Amino acid sequence: MTGLFESIVAPGSLDYMINLVIMLVIILLKIAAVVAVALLHVAYATYFERKVIGHMQVRLGPREVGPLGLLQPFADGVKLFFKEDIIPADADKPLFYLAPVIFFVSALTSLSVLPFFDGFAVANINVGLLFLFAMSSLGAYGIVLSGWSSNSKFAFLGGLRSASQVISYEIAMGLSLVGVMMMAGSLNLSDIVRAQQHYPLGLFAVPQFLGFFVFVVAAFAETNRLPFDLPEAESELVAGYFTEYSGFRFALFFLGEYTGMLIMSAIASLCFLGGWGLPSFVTANVSIVAAKILGLFWFLAKVYAFMFFYYWVRATLPRYRYDQLMAIGWKLLIPLALANIVITGLVKIWVKGMV
Amino acid sequence: MTSGKILKTVFFVEILKGLALTFKTLFTPPVTRRYPKVKVPAQPGFRGLHALAKNAEGKMKCVGCGLCGAYCPSKCIHIYTSEGDDHAKIVDRYEIDVLRCIFCGFCVEACPFGAITLSEHYEYSEASREAFYMTREKLLENWDKYFAGPKGERYFKDFWLPQTKTYASYEGQAMFRGRAKGKE
Repeated sequence: MTGLFESIVAPGSLDYMINLVIMLVIILLKIAAVVAVALLHVAYATYFERKVIGHMQVRLGPREVGPLGLLQPFADGVKLFFKEDIIPADADKPLFYLAPVIFFVSALTSLSVLPFFDGFAVANINVGLLFLFAMSSLGAYGIVLSGWSSNSKFAFLGGLRSASQVISYEIAMGLSLVGVMMMAGSLNLSDIVRAQQHYPLGLFAVPQFLGFFVFVVAAFAETNRLPFDLPEAESELVAGYFTEYSGFRFALFFLGEYTGMLIMSAIASLCFLGGWGLPSFVTANVSIVAAKILGLFWFLAKVYAFMFFYYWVRATLPRYRYDQLMAIGWKLLIPLALANIVITGLVKIWVKGMV
Repeated sequence: MTSGKILKTVFFVEILKGLALTFKTLFTPPVTRRYPKVKVPAQPGFRGLHALAKNAEGKMKCVGCGLCGAYCPSKCIHIYTSEGDDHAKIVDRYEIDVLRCIFCGFCVEACPFGAITLSEHYEYSEASREAFYMTREKLLENWDKYFAGPKGERYFKDFWLPQTKTYASYEGQAMFRGRAKGKE
């Protein structure tokens, strides 16, 4: 065994190997922490949603499991875990197994580039924003494949709807964030947050209000949430693309959807609402560690405010018709986002002179 | 489109109004009744489980005339009588199939003696069909359980007899109106 090891690793590079292993262990620990915490947040996002929508509909929401129903997410998880796993006859089995995994993994992978507080991201890469787009597009594959492989017309229609919807709104969302990239001069999410410190209120949402509006609408469509939840429209398509899924495979879709919402909220928080950036009169008066912890909570508060907005809109608006959805995407949001890019560019040239 | 309408569309006035409404309802007290934990008492006069009334001496008021059974639209009342000493009518069995009953209350209206009643008790789930087959003894027991004291005395006065002194039916109805006085 030792011989094998030494034959692969040349002597002298052993230190390098040890460093590599330690680094890997640290990264794995980081990943474990982020995934565990994020999944807990996702679990309680469902509880939060049910409570908010319940009270908006003059109901109570969950309150039987545990004090104030606080253990409800775990009860749901246990229920889903022990449910029968049904695979429809004539389903395309490999794809049927693969689809929820693709969807869930792409949602979880997006978590790796999010800076939760100053200097903490699992992977602080320079193409962070682009990576998020890539992952959210990859999630659409999971949806399309699940619709295709289920051998059910409802799932199939849901998958098709989702494909066209996600692709249409991907463009609008990408373009809406181009304004942010132009202002920050970077795709790295930490740099985008830092760039916002020099702007009024520490927000990009003020100068980029057009982009922010386009992003918010596109984020609703991108995560298949009301009022754009046509891929899973209950009254038309049973449950849309995951109609045939049950048990833990359904749970993967469910978790993936809520993780997607969490990520969209995090992007909104990081790119438009200032992320973990605290005002200077706070950071000047506290220690660095305290500033980081405060920043984390500041970031989470924004994320949860945006999540609340998701639920609030869900409790308020009815579902759009499909042609209306497409009209909003192509005729309103994309021209608006393009106009926003032109305006941002012109203002940048006007302010700084010829670049 | 007028300029006002365009402004309304651009600034999503209607959507904002809707959001304001749902935000307001977020803070209104919920209307949920947490039933098994918090029980809502039945309204007075609720038509629930049956009971056979007892008179002041504690004996069954029912004489076995069978009017309730004849009136019952779901035919769930079964009465068996026999002839006793000096031709008195004896009620041998008085049984109600509660699972057939539709709780219309016609039996209570039909009874000339105020012998059958519907109590305010509505939580009587059981594990077997036999448990829902009410015999005479069970029905008399129900009277003791749900109509003890003044409740039973007031029951017919409050809910079943004509509520006003001027109560009258239409001309053609066969109804005892007393002896005719002189010429009409």
